Amino acid sequence: MLETEELKKVFKGKTAVEGASLYLDKGESVGLLGPNGAGKSTTISMISTLLKPTSGDVRLNGKSVIKNPSEMRRVLGVVPQEIALYGELTAYENLKFFGRIYGLSGKALETAIQRSLELVGLMERQKEIVKTYSGGMKRRVNIAAAMMHEPEVIIMDEPTVGIDPQSRSHILEMVRQLNQEKGLTVLYTSHYMEEVERLCDRVYIMDHGKIIASGTKEELKSILSSEETVWIELDRPYPEFFKELQSFEMIKQATETEKGIKLILPKGSRVLGKVFQASERHQVQIINVNVQTPSLEDVFLHLTGRKLRD
Amino acid sequence: MKSVFLLQWQRFRRAPVMMLSFLVMTIIFVALLAGNNPAERSAILTYADASLSAPEAEDWVASLNEAGEFKFQLMDENEVREAVAAGDAPLALRLMEGNYRIVLAADDMSRFVLEAFLNRKYREELRFQQVEQQTAGSDIRTEVAALMEEPPLQIVTATLDGKEEFRYDNQLQLLFGMTLFFSVYTIMFSLMKIVEEKKYGTWDRLILSPVGKWEIYLGHLAYSFTIGYFQIVLIFVLFKYVFNFDVGDRFGAILLIIACYTFAIVALSMLVMSLVSRPQQLQAVVPIIATGMAMIGGAFWPIELVNSNMLLAISKILPITYGLDALKGVAIYDRSWQELSEPISILLLYGVVCMGIGINLMERRNY
Repeated sequence: MLETEELKKVFKGKTAVEGASLYLDKGESVGLLGPNGAGKSTTISMISTLLKPTSGDVRLNGKSVIKNPSEMRRVLGVVPQEIALYGELTAYENLKFFGRIYGLSGKALETAIQRSLELVGLMERQKEIVKTYSGGMKRRVNIAAAMMHEPEVIIMDEPTVGIDPQSRSHILEMVRQLNQEKGLTVLYTSHYMEEVERLCDRVYIMDHGKIIASGTKEELKSILSSEETVWIELDRPYPEFFKELQSFEMIKQATETEKGIKLILPKGSRVLGKVFQASERHQVQIINVNVQTPSLEDVFLHLTGRKLRD
Repeated sequence: MKSVFLLQWQRFRRAPVMMLSFLVMTIIFVALLAGNNPAERSAILTYADASLSAPEAEDWVASLNEAGEFKFQLMDENEVREAVAAGDAPLALRLMEGNYRIVLAADDMSRFVLEAFLNRKYREELRFQQVEQQTAGSDIRTEVAALMEEPPLQIVTATLDGKEEFRYDNQLQLLFGMTLFFSVYTIMFSLMKIVEEKKYGTWDRLILSPVGKWEIYLGHLAYSFTIGYFQIVLIFVLFKYVFNFDVGDRFGAILLIIACYTFAIVALSMLVMSLVSRPQQLQAVVPIIATGMAMIGGAFWPIELVNSNMLLAISKILPITYGLDALKGVAIYDRSWQELSEPISILLLYGVVCMGIGINLMERRNY
């Protein structure tokens, strides 16, 4: 339904996005994952026709939308990262305005407003001024505004940034419903791994302006199928112990965390015995040891050498 | 366009304080400062010395008051001298036979204006009296008044560069200057909504909608124009009909000039918006532009008093210069449409050029 081909964007000589090719099938929920500054927002700005790419193409049902963006804009709803609302107006007034600019009027407009408010669970508080809302409520109205014209594709740019867990959970559930029950095609960008794992069928991972991996969650995790992750929880940091572990040839990657040490090992490697011996030598107090199957976070770490929220 | 235009009014109704404050400030400034106009001052305390009888003194005061430029109040000499000595009156007038004296406690700049008036009135009156003595029985005053309606000789005063002689009207200078000055704030801050929309993402929502980009711009520009235009018109109407400022009989011409000036300032605002990226920057830039433009363009004091060639040259690129020139041209000099066409055309040209550059720069920054 929607695809991009080798999208590139250069700002004042600096390449923000390079060679970004991705596709979305109808009714699919796709995640675009990457740390801050990875190029996610620039990519979705190009896809949503807000930004002209330096090179490459965006196609909707096989037709390029670069020169003629109106077709794309008709079927597209965008939930921006910012709270793109008029703070001095009520939620109802905001939605009324956004409905009007899509040509809605009279009963159709009123129906669209009530439908959108119901979707985001703000029917009761629709007449309150938006700037008096909590962060989570503002985010919900932000989504409702993008839903006024019943788009077929919705692009959400980090829609849960800076909100409380309850509102976040509400929004995630809403997105899931939109995708699974109403068949909406969703492109969801986030730097929260668990959101993408929960919502998306397929994932693109971006870093430094490039898509470095893509596939279903299982496909991505299979990158690490030959590996396993071992968490060693310690009572306090032991730098000498960590240094010794890093020198073990069998350990592919060792990372020091707040609570202990994370090791990525080849599957089936018998290195734990040596780890315990080293802990004896350094008089390390181990509280817990946990062997995990890989997560997307591990895949990201493996691919980029850094954490998603770094 | 209509939706965007109406939205701005809806937002204005929710947060009108800033915009209305410019309207109120204009009214306060003009009303307070225009009180210094000689015609509006308190009466000049006047007494007659022994050379004049009481009826003669009363005749002189009535004659002086006839002109309406100052108000003279005949009082007892001791009372007048006490009032001046106590500082209750800055100056007083002593009437003498065929002469006068100004009594001052301290030097006062306004005495020059008063002295010029008294000189003129005394010459005129004394000449009448001399003629009346020579031609006993004839009503020379009525004859002169009748002749002056169609004078046999007309004297036209012109300066070397062909411009009209400078005439200063304190009330109109303040009214026009302050109103045009504060309207710059109103227009620029109202158009700041475009920068806010771009910063907070609502602009992108509008761009993604079926509303054309030109409609979005037009909605904002029409709102800024309307709010700026009505602010100026409201103040002019208020001072013309409530405070009785004499803005002349050609109010239609004044409305047209206001429209052209407002268009030029809206366009200038558009250019300024295209050069800044954050609303906070604008809050710093707008006062600098508005005040600088008002000072150099002659809103705070008449441009005719400025001698610096450099400042005069800079004033030629400021729309406020042409706005004030055209308004004074109508209200003070009663210029013809042909003469007014120059400042009006410059304002329109200014508007078109600034608007073109402004929108172009703003659009370029998007990509």
